[in-house]
Amino acid sequence: MAIHERSLVDPERVLRKERLVIDGIDVSGDWNLIILPRVIEDYDLSFLDEVLEQPEGKTILQCYQCSYCTASCPVHNYWDERYNPRHFIHLARLGLIDELQKRADVMWRCVSCHKCTHRCPKGVLVEEVLKAILRVMAKRGIIEEYPSKKFDKFFLESVYEYGRIEDGELLFGWIEKQGYQVVKDPILKKPIPFMGGVPEWLKQLAVKPIKSMNIGFLILNAKHMLFHPRTKNWNRFKQVLRKVMEEEGVFTH
Amino acid sequence: MAKSVLVVGGGPAGLAAARTLGKLGIPTILVEKEQKLGGRPVLEDYHTLIPRKMTPQQVIGPFIEEVQNNPNVEVKLGVELEACEGEAPSFKVKLSNGEEHEVGAIVVATGFQHFDAKRKGELGYGIYPDVITNLELEQMFSREGKLYRPSNGQLPKRVAFVFCVGSRDRQLGVTNVHCCRYGCALSGLQGTEIREKYPDVDVFCYYMDVRTYGTWEYPFYWAPQEKYGVRYVRGRIAEITYNPQDGRLRVKHEDTIVQRPAEVPMDLVVLVLGMEPSEGTKKVAKILGLAQDPDSQFLVPAEDSGSNIISNKPGVFIAGACKGPIDIESSLAEGEAAGAEAATFIGAKVSA
Repeated sequence: MAIHERSLVDPERVLRKERLVIDGIDVSGDWNLIILPRVIEDYDLSFLDEVLEQPEGKTILQCYQCSYCTASCPVHNYWDERYNPRHFIHLARLGLIDELQKRADVMWRCVSCHKCTHRCPKGVLVEEVLKAILRVMAKRGIIEEYPSKKFDKFFLESVYEYGRIEDGELLFGWIEKQGYQVVKDPILKKPIPFMGGVPEWLKQLAVKPIKSMNIGFLILNAKHMLFHPRTKNWNRFKQVLRKVMEEEGVFTH
Repeated sequence: MAKSVLVVGGGPAGLAAARTLGKLGIPTILVEKEQKLGGRPVLEDYHTLIPRKMTPQQVIGPFIEEVQNNPNVEVKLGVELEACEGEAPSFKVKLSNGEEHEVGAIVVATGFQHFDAKRKGELGYGIYPDVITNLELEQMFSREGKLYRPSNGQLPKRVAFVFCVGSRDRQLGVTNVHCCRYGCALSGLQGTEIREKYPDVDVFCYYMDVRTYGTWEYPFYWAPQEKYGVRYVRGRIAEITYNPQDGRLRVKHEDTIVQRPAEVPMDLVVLVLGMEPSEGTKKVAKILGLAQDPDSQFLVPAEDSGSNIISNKPGVFIAGACKGPIDIESSLAEGEAAGAEAATFIGAKVSA
């Protein structure tokens, strides 16, 4: 049996088998095609509880679905309409897990421009709330850890350890975090620039700014890559930072 | 020229009118069909009134007391207006107890009645015990002080409010096209009361749009949602069914935001009832020849007046819910205005 308006039926709801035998009777053919209903049968209300447990998720209840955020969102407007912060909030509040899962591939695409947060008439910290939703989804295993988070984590680790970031280390260290083969020097175990399996396009991308640097700055950078400087008195700040992060439950290590 | 005023109806608007007239020293006759003053909120044991969150006793109690203690006001309980002859400023009125009086002005405050939820058969009211009206929920709070499922007496895990039952509905004919005006706010308040007392009970409001107008926006929409976690889902409930396997109800609707049909389990469903003109309002309109809205049958003010308490008939003033859905404080204010207007109409002079 043909499905009319096939585009309106989600492929995952169509069950079809080439050969099907039920109770010894061969029912192969068009009649064994089943379209699963798209009726929402229940809410998973514990999802919202978990979002509210996250420090970033506290303002999710303030949303009244006006869509000021989505209308402002560059990702929604210029990249993919499936990225819709207002909609994600609605889905999270009712716990419509299958709908969230359907959008898992776009949900980490936020560019953190914070237009949504600045404009929200209800004071929802939209960008933070979405991060909280993502975290609960990750905890439940319904979204993969998104690539940009690897960079966030590396960035945070660097600041946490030294009180500052080092451009060279951030660039080449991140290349390593992305899974490319990087050659390290035998003594300090630091990645050697442009060695190993770094792809050509990435090399060219890195060479461009290096070429235009003055030699003194280049040497400084190289030195800092080898011997990472630490912000003065950082250890004291670090202890405070650790305490705050632990109290707020955002410790990511 | 007669110097007394007849007030028809002993609810909030009628009481406020009679109180004002009595205080001005004008002989006033207050007729009330029921055996008790106070109108719907008192007769039907409302729990909390919007927007002040006070009980009917707190709000209407002082009005009843003042009216009863004022020697200028003659209260006649169990009495209706039967007939009226003559024009202003000398109406000859006949009451159902056989009395006849001559009055200079009439204040009509005959009020509303609740929509009969059985008329929306698809919502299962009267069929499933766990489908109740918001009036019954009020009485559950005020008379029994607890929330429970009528079918088994236990605390529900989930409560759904179904907005606009008997309002904004052309299917019922032209009579119920108007908005009930109080339903969104009362549901927000009832949801808050439930969540305050039973934090584990999840509350859902199924709405088309939320009309908590003016200063009601924060206390009856934002606060229930932000502070008490009442959930709002956009979509009108089209059908309520019962699942014998788990003994729970199913509310059938489309979640218009997700654009998917839904049949979600609920333990208690509360129908938010619309307002209709009371039988008394329709009857009094015929006796006095007052203009009615051709659709809803509510009384309408005079076309050439900007005031909404001036009727089409000189000497007759209309106040409160007989003109359409209204909240308590506006009803009281209109009663007071109509009382003062009637006093000036009969030419009463206030002695210094």
